[in-house]
Amino acid sequence: MKKTKTICRILLLLVIVFSLTGCWDREELEDRSYVIGLGLDRSPYKGKIKVTMLLANPEVGSMQGGGGSTEKPREIISFDASDFIVAKVTANAIISRLISYDLLKIIVVSEELAKDPNFFHIIYGAVYDKEIRMNAYLAVSEEMASEYFLKNRPKMETRPHKYFQYMIEHGIENGLIPDSTLLRFFKTKESGTDLFLAMNTSAVRKKNPKFKGENEYYAGQVDATGEMDDTQFIGSAVFRNGVMIGKLTGQETSIVNTLDDTTNINDFLLNIPNPFPGKQKSFAARVMKRENNKVKMNLKGPGPKIFITLPLKFEIMSNPSMVDFSKKKNQEIIKKEIARHFKIEHEKMLRKVQREFKGAPFPLSYNARKYFGTIQEYKKFNWNKSYLNADIYVKADVEIVDYGRVTKKAGN
Amino acid sequence: MNQQPGKLGIREYVSIAILMVGSKATEDTPTVLFINVQNAAWMIPVLSAGIFFIPLLLLLKTISLYQGKNLFFVIQKLLGKYIGFIVCLVIFIITLVGISLDSRLYTNIIRAFYFRTTPILVLYALLMAVCAYGAKKGIQHIGSVAYLLIIYAITGLFFALGLSTQASNVNAILPIWGPGKIEILKKSSQSLSLFTDFFLLTMLIPYLSSSKDFRKGTWIAYIYVSIQISVATLFFICMLDQSLGGVGYPFHTAVRYISLGSYIPNIEILFFIVWIVSAFIRFTAFLYINALMFGHLFKIKDFEFLIPSLAAIYLLIGNIPESQIDVGLKLEHMVQAVVGPLFAAISLILWLSALLKGEFKHEKDKNNM
Repeated sequence: MKKTKTICRILLLLVIVFSLTGCWDREELEDRSYVIGLGLDRSPYKGKIKVTMLLANPEVGSMQGGGGSTEKPREIISFDASDFIVAKVTANAIISRLISYDLLKIIVVSEELAKDPNFFHIIYGAVYDKEIRMNAYLAVSEEMASEYFLKNRPKMETRPHKYFQYMIEHGIENGLIPDSTLLRFFKTKESGTDLFLAMNTSAVRKKNPKFKGENEYYAGQVDATGEMDDTQFIGSAVFRNGVMIGKLTGQETSIVNTLDDTTNINDFLLNIPNPFPGKQKSFAARVMKRENNKVKMNLKGPGPKIFITLPLKFEIMSNPSMVDFSKKKNQEIIKKEIARHFKIEHEKMLRKVQREFKGAPFPLSYNARKYFGTIQEYKKFNWNKSYLNADIYVKADVEIVDYGRVTKKAGN
Repeated sequence: MNQQPGKLGIREYVSIAILMVGSKATEDTPTVLFINVQNAAWMIPVLSAGIFFIPLLLLLKTISLYQGKNLFFVIQKLLGKYIGFIVCLVIFIITLVGISLDSRLYTNIIRAFYFRTTPILVLYALLMAVCAYGAKKGIQHIGSVAYLLIIYAITGLFFALGLSTQASNVNAILPIWGPGKIEILKKSSQSLSLFTDFFLLTMLIPYLSSSKDFRKGTWIAYIYVSIQISVATLFFICMLDQSLGGVGYPFHTAVRYISLGSYIPNIEILFFIVWIVSAFIRFTAFLYINALMFGHLFKIKDFEFLIPSLAAIYLLIGNIPESQIDVGLKLEHMVQAVVGPLFAAISLILWLSALLKGEFKHEKDKNNM
């Protein structure tokens, strides 16, 4: 009797184990094709969009040493569809495996479509689709997105998911591109007060681009030659209310990133005008942002005043004029110069965005919220309108943690 | 069933209570609160706890007059045979419907985020089967599993919340008063249903080792749960801000967003496992309590045998609504709007009738003697 009972229990357990496979939702890696990049373009047909899918081959690079397959690491298909959700099914007419957006990393939108007033309704499908994660990035390319993925042929990192992951991660750390996740995009649109920056990318190098100062480039303008891939991630596209209205250069984007406390900027290198005599007009410094900015506002009266203090740490990386930094006087000069440079650059950028794009390029309105008791008061204040008349003052709290390896003048 | 009627210790009881009520932070409650009072939503759980404190205190006081007796016994004793029966029946039916809809909500979450193509009925039936099996094992088993699990459930939740700060902005909770102080108070008084489960938990008194443990455990769980829901809502507001109103299940959206660096990017499954097991415990406990009520109402001694059929009734009721929208926005809303004030009123009436009948005096006299 006891034996039968035990056997019955073991059988029951076995039956339960079978249910673990999930029956309907059984997923075989073999059977799936993961979309890493999704491209959206305007379609020649009315009410449709052109969808491009960059599919990764999970077999490539997964095996150490020999035995790996000789298949290509990726597949790209483009076609016209009503939206990118149903496009998954249409794509199966061409792709043998089941298409999944589960590992989607980047959505590339052509500038043309991003400027379309209807763009937000198209991208809103991403909220509804349960596979798309809100940590996918939104990027804007100057050319058609379908062309972008075709032209994008990384030489070193051929697996697309790793390529985009590293490219974006390091771009954000260096401050050249904004942290434009879908979460931020929808959050900014919903609150309706600030501008959203999406990363700007291009896989087509401009013919004869002009040389510009440090990082004052849009994507595709960096004049690099050699044996490499032409894709560039630099600068940002400005969105207001979910529609693109303009562009910022790499340098302007990095300024925005230092002002924005919610982004993940680490430390980056920068050229700063050299205050000391000499032929070299600039010196290199590493800027480190370790603390949050202090934002104070005076919102009474017709023209609000906004004071932003940036607590930044610097490391001097070059010393072209061979200045002796052990002298207090020289230290003061360089500190003053850095503070002056930051003030000018930041205020210039903020004023430009305020004038041209009529908003703040980072969630500045959040800092205004603490001056109001209730939502009604805040709404009455009308940030969007008041901000246009705001005077913005930026101050950099310069702390130099390292003056470089050589402090004394050579020969002294 | 010749099971020894086992006793629950205070820690098992607290674990059950926390898993039952605290899991509200991980479904759509934060969204509903946000829709009501926007960015002041995090205050609501604490304020409602403050309001519900009075009826709960009075209820516990009344019940403590009858050592080791459960809620239904007290109701029937104080309100008489017939009125008492009707009140108990109403409570039973409301909880039956409420839990059916609640379990449907959980099934919907599981389907929406993890098992997208499995039919609702299969998922729902599996959930109910597991809960029925657990409930049939008896309350002390539920208690021990809850105690085993509670530490993982709490650390899992707070780990996820901590990671969600990657994308959050504290300023989102400002302006501090949201839509205005009066509006917040009004909505708090309407959100009493957050804590009505504690009302039902009084059914478990006979299974506790002592009634002092019960009172102490209730207060510990009550305070902890109100803080947990409040903190979770606060974190979700900071992370999602205005989008919280549009995101159905913020916890699941959040765990799909967060990552452990670039090498372990997608970690939602870790949280899902803990979450689903605590959901099992939640409904197992509900099922058990409901069976207990039914057994008491119709004088059925071996009420454990009722559990499978009750689970089937849940399944049937929960299957009536066609889609999630009906469940989440209309029906649940209705049930919750009724349940909070009703249970608070019953507590007050019980206390009043005990007072008028002079039960408190008797008790005092007994103590003096």
